[in-house]
Amino acid sequence: MKYFAAFLCVVCLFPMGISWAADKYIGSIKTLDGTVTVVSRGKEVDPVVGTRLFVQDRVKTGHNGSVGIILQDDTVFTLGPDSELALKEFRFDPKKNDFSLVSRMVRGTFVYVSGIMGKLSPKSIRIETPDGIVAIRGTKFAAQIQE
Amino acid sequence: MIAGKRYFLLLAACILWLSGCSSGKTILVLLPDSDGHVGEIQVSNEHGVSRVNQANYAVSVTSGKAPRPPVIMAEQEVSKIFTAALAAEPPPPATYILYFFWDSVKLTHDSRSSIQKILAKIQKRASTDISVNGHADRCGSKKFNIELSRKRADKVRTLLIAKGVPPSDINSTSHGEGNPLIKTADNVPEPRNRRVEVIVR
Repeated sequence: MKYFAAFLCVVCLFPMGISWAADKYIGSIKTLDGTVTVVSRGKEVDPVVGTRLFVQDRVKTGHNGSVGIILQDDTVFTLGPDSELALKEFRFDPKKNDFSLVSRMVRGTFVYVSGIMGKLSPKSIRIETPDGIVAIRGTKFAAQIQE
Repeated sequence: MIAGKRYFLLLAACILWLSGCSSGKTILVLLPDSDGHVGEIQVSNEHGVSRVNQANYAVSVTSGKAPRPPVIMAEQEVSKIFTAALAAEPPPPATYILYFFWDSVKLTHDSRSSIQKILAKIQKRASTDISVNGHADRCGSKKFNIELSRKRADKVRTLLIAKGVPPSDINSTSHGEGNPLIKTADNVPEPRNRRVEVIVR
């Protein structure tokens, strides 16, 4: 019975924990031009400057689109035309020394500028592309994914 | 039989798609930071690693093959490929420092007038992302200063909300005496540490 109660607790609390984390925004759209779409928590939205971004969101640009985003630790990502970025993981808690930034550059052109996490914990940052994984030491780079 | 043919076409399409993917390529170019500093990137896959630590050097990587060694990329080429992405870079966060009287949540005269500048910046950037961080000098106990700097942050937050900034756009923190602009010994009054930093992103 005890085990069952414990099991019930785990089962009930686990999704609560996830939804709490998912409700916390991790960054926002700062610049916007042409066609830009955000797939946010399962829904497609037409973003404006100020639209908030969450873990697991995807940002996409059309043929004439470009977009600039800033995450909570001041990390900057920009996307050129026909590009797609997946924000896979983000934790920024300097007081608990808990950091993680995992993003995937799916296609297109990008500029990345590292933020506070790049100074405090560069090893917690991982940028994936279809062809390899990029590790960063406090820096700025541009990337092009050719399909 | 028709179903079988369909599966065959689907399979063929999948193979084509997969082979299309594997011929893809990622190009990474290291750029100098806005202050001129140059960092380092390292790209790896299961076949190898390539490091870049010089500005405007590029490394290319194709899946299934080791990343290539870095080669220099002409600036014209960089700006040609990345025109739109470079132009989309947002301006860096704007930071304002507001000062307070000793042991008080009263803003200095100059700092009161900074509130207008902050509001103008929020409007100009359509910012929904504002940090208000309270600080104190080292007069008094740590606990007292955490509370004092929380009240200072609350004061600025209240002023911004009164001027129409949505409360959900403001994230306040209290640092107490733990994060001084000017380092001092304990119990030394330092007007420049009695402050609230407002960051508009």
